[in-house]
Amino acid sequence: LSPSLANRLRIGFAIGFAVLTAMAVIGVGRFIQQRQDFEDAVARSYQVEMTARARLASGDADRAVARATVAAQSERREELRDQIAADTRDTTLLVAAGLIAGLTGALLLFSGLIASMRRPLEELVDAAGRLAGGDRSARVEVGGLSETATLGAAFNEIADQLELEASQRDQLDRLKDEFVLTASHELRSPLTSVQGFAELLMLERDSLTPKQVETVEIILDNCRHLVRLLNDLLDLARSDAGRLAITPKPTAVAPLVDDAVRTMRAQTESAGQSLTEDVEADLPAVDVEADRIRQILVNLLTNAHEYSPVGASIEVTARVKGAGVEIAVTDNGPGIPESQLDQIFERFVRGDAGLTQRVGGTGLGLAISRSLVELHGGTIEVESTPGVGSRFSFSLPVSGR
Amino acid sequence: MTRVLVADDSETILLLMRTRLELAGYEVETAADGQEVTERLRAGALEGLPDLLLLDAMMPRKSGIDALRELRAAGVDTPALIVSAHQDATDADAPSDLEVSGFVNKPIDFDRLLDEIAALTS
Repeated sequence: LSPSLANRLRIGFAIGFAVLTAMAVIGVGRFIQQRQDFEDAVARSYQVEMTARARLASGDADRAVARATVAAQSERREELRDQIAADTRDTTLLVAAGLIAGLTGALLLFSGLIASMRRPLEELVDAAGRLAGGDRSARVEVGGLSETATLGAAFNEIADQLELEASQRDQLDRLKDEFVLTASHELRSPLTSVQGFAELLMLERDSLTPKQVETVEIILDNCRHLVRLLNDLLDLARSDAGRLAITPKPTAVAPLVDDAVRTMRAQTESAGQSLTEDVEADLPAVDVEADRIRQILVNLLTNAHEYSPVGASIEVTARVKGAGVEIAVTDNGPGIPESQLDQIFERFVRGDAGLTQRVGGTGLGLAISRSLVELHGGTIEVESTPGVGSRFSFSLPVSGR
Repeated sequence: MTRVLVADDSETILLLMRTRLELAGYEVETAADGQEVTERLRAGALEGLPDLLLLDAMMPRKSGIDALRELRAAGVDTPALIVSAHQDATDADAPSDLEVSGFVNKPIDFDRLLDEIAALTS
């Protein structure tokens, strides 16, 4: 039974019982009249009998007629008494039935009333819960008593407003993502020219003065920085838009680490830093997108390289930990103050300002690294002691588990 | 001499490509967009086919991908590299009906590009 049909049935029954109750009331009224009539008739009957008896006593009238009248009146009262007894019984039954019907009707009507109040309220509670849970389409059917209907209408209005605001915000977000995407693409062509021509100059470095070589190197450094910034911004915009996707494949860990270390080798060597790797033998393959893991490793290694002084030691380790593989980058650089550890993975949060003067990072690397690690179903952590060094580690899921 | 046809809507990029490729010993032809590439190949303006096509993915009038699709339909099987401003363009971006030898991302890593060209034209 649908709720509305049940409610209609309930109301139907209630009306039926109300009719029965009304009939009982009418029955009682009729009975009072019947009783009155009965008493009048009995009184009239006694009167007729008295008159007949008086005539019989005076002996002037026809005695036989008078006697017959007395007998008839006695019989008539007997009939009247039977009649009123029957009427009393019928009326009692009717009243009892009416009473039961009335009570039942009142009960049904009342429960219907409660239900008609409770259902909209329950619906409202449910919809409010869904709305709070982020379901923007949560609405209620406006109905029931005028109070609950008003409440429901007000709820729907608020939900409409919220949905409108959310969709406007979504649209702004989309525009922002679209803008970052387009800007990142459009900036690549001029950047290609700047970097390409600077590289052309470097091909003829023998004919340049040391000052000119230094100048071109600065241009190239900044080109690389700009490329990193563009790539990072693009990744973050994709991550925000939920479009940062990975296609994990079973991948061996050692070549990944080798690759990242090779990429960083020139930079660490030029700073006189040692860069070593310690990959546990027989590591299981991990379920990852290799390019993304390389990106994370290069991010972490770049940080270690840029924040650590000349001659520092940087080590990459990989080992089985729990159900996954843990890869860590450890350095003996200046470390990170405890007050900064909490926000270190937030975007545009960078290490100590005094140091960042000569550090070329974008402040986005760790934020992206965290997004990427989480996209792989892993976690990224940092441990650091100022003056001793830092250790960034992330876990990766083992393939086929 | 190995001949490379480069198409890009930026004159600066064309100049850069020409300079780098000529330094590496290639003969370079340039086109401003995909339309020019197909017209010139069709008109036989180039004596015979080049040994390699280096096409920018996004160009006005006709993109590198559309131009390549036309050439492939016309039976041209010259190796082709698509230059893309997408950070992480991969073979997955290529329409499955298209025979692309590879993708080159901007900004261009010329050492890698020259290696790839050498491998494709050897």
